[in-house]
Amino acid sequence: MTTAANRFWSQTEAILDEVPADVRVQRDDFYSQPGWDVFQMRYTSADGYWLYAWLSVPKGNGPFPAIVRMPDYASVHDIVYTPMREWAVVMNPTFRGQRQSDQIFQAEFPGLLTEGIEDTETYIMRRVFADALRGFDALLAQDQAILGNIAVTGAGLGGALALAVAARRIAVHAVAANTPLALGNPASLAKGLAYPLAELDDYMRLYPDRKDTVKQNTADLDPLKIARRITAPVLLSVGINDTGLCPLAFGEKLAERIPDCDFRAYHGASEGGGHEHAQIQLSWLSDKLGLG
Amino acid sequence: MATEQDLQDFETQVTCPDDFDDFWSGTLELLAGISLKPVITAEPLRSNDDAHVFNVTYLSLGGLEISAWYSLPAQGEGPFPAVINFPGYKSEPPVRRDWAKKGVAVLSVAVRGKLKSSSEFNPGYPGLLTSGLESKENYGYRGVISDCVRGVDFLRSRPEIDPERIFACGSSQGGGLTLITSALRPEIKAGVAGYPFLCCYPEAMTMFRSYPYDELACYVRANPDEQEQMLDILRYFDAVNFAPRIKCPMVVGIALDDEVCPPETSYAAYQALSGHKELWLFPNSGHGNAHDYPGQERAWLEGQIGLSAATS
Repeated sequence: MTTAANRFWSQTEAILDEVPADVRVQRDDFYSQPGWDVFQMRYTSADGYWLYAWLSVPKGNGPFPAIVRMPDYASVHDIVYTPMREWAVVMNPTFRGQRQSDQIFQAEFPGLLTEGIEDTETYIMRRVFADALRGFDALLAQDQAILGNIAVTGAGLGGALALAVAARRIAVHAVAANTPLALGNPASLAKGLAYPLAELDDYMRLYPDRKDTVKQNTADLDPLKIARRITAPVLLSVGINDTGLCPLAFGEKLAERIPDCDFRAYHGASEGGGHEHAQIQLSWLSDKLGLG
Repeated sequence: MATEQDLQDFETQVTCPDDFDDFWSGTLELLAGISLKPVITAEPLRSNDDAHVFNVTYLSLGGLEISAWYSLPAQGEGPFPAVINFPGYKSEPPVRRDWAKKGVAVLSVAVRGKLKSSSEFNPGYPGLLTSGLESKENYGYRGVISDCVRGVDFLRSRPEIDPERIFACGSSQGGGLTLITSALRPEIKAGVAGYPFLCCYPEAMTMFRSYPYDELACYVRANPDEQEQMLDILRYFDAVNFAPRIKCPMVVGIALDDEVCPPETSYAAYQALSGHKELWLFPNSGHGNAHDYPGQERAWLEGQIGLSAATS
């Protein structure tokens, strides 16, 4: 990891340390099911920002394995849905600006990727990564379920967030990252990409004198810079025709740097391995979490 | 995974209300009484050498202001053929610049409740599917469908658009809205409905326990006495009841392992189509992730639009 990236992550941890998570959990009677309870979680992140998460807890005493599904690059994060929710605690945390975490700041899509990019202090995506770390910490702090092994998953931005959390939190037992967003890597600045990465080129086209700023202020977020720190096994998937999230060459480099990586490349675009990989991931996670 | 035989064996219990056409003609009359008041604002950040991108607003049912992304080819003066793109349930409408190189305009509609159109109606996610379910007049989807109809009206009002070449597409909720809007606006010349949502509510809400349909199951669990009334209201918003009223060519794309929009329910909408229709089945694919779907959608629409190989 570069010195600058190291400094960014140290600063992010320090900023989080200043703010107690203040986790609050409330059962959602409307969405709870006979087989599992659904909770609304709220907790604070960097800058005292309130965040929201869906939490699903199986009926019974536990301990239960847990899955944290990091949010996509989208305005909403799913209410918990996975066939594993009957056997595992599942948390779907949001980041600032997403629905239900938008009291102060409402993210735009497209738009979030360059929000405040003029300065490292204002660049929103740096705080989005802090929110991911805080989401994981909030799961550990909640008192609704006793937790066993914890896996972190995600696609696109969620894939990059899952890798970052795994690099920073030793409690992560396994990671399933699909088409992780190449934000911060030079590959994200190429012309002719699809959205969301194309937002960076849009910005540089309108403000050609800020190209270096964009490069510098995103660089610390490059997943390649934290990949070697990940000790948990990683299932990594990409689509060979993907130009909007995880260009193939970037995905291959990422796989090389992750110490324990099961890399799968599919004939797809941003959907990565699609349905085929979803089945593989389900089986892989079940195995890693002791559910198989 | 569903089989083709499963699709063919499926019979929905959905019936069409006697006053279905009256309800929707009344809604269209209400819309006709509301001035469109379009406002078009350039979006230089999203424009490039291929496409001039604009933010559009227009008024819809209840006088709500609806937003949309509007992409015009940077080359040529038109009138251009146009594709109207309807959004999924939880996704924001995309900026579609990909058609511009081919000389096609795209209107990507942010129906009410989407971020760009949420100032006066914002049920959030989850929530839209049960918003206003107390009556068909107040049901949220009456507005959502109206917003799509008005998008077609916007395109027809524009001098740079060829009113004889307006086409529609969308996936999931966007697929359902493609079917429904094509029934209400025969000015749409052809459409592609991928993995269509909004079909066969009584069955869809019980076949899987996935959202958004599971919102209805949760609603019934919380309000057991209202199930009959809820299902009666939903008949007015079921794509299966709109399908026989569609006159233009229509494709329905179905993933056989779709656990969000059950394949059987989408197939019922396909079966109910009475005009020229095509069925695309994707085995070993789930909701929204059939690898070949985007390419097929594009190629089929290009054929309908009449784009020559020279523009490819």
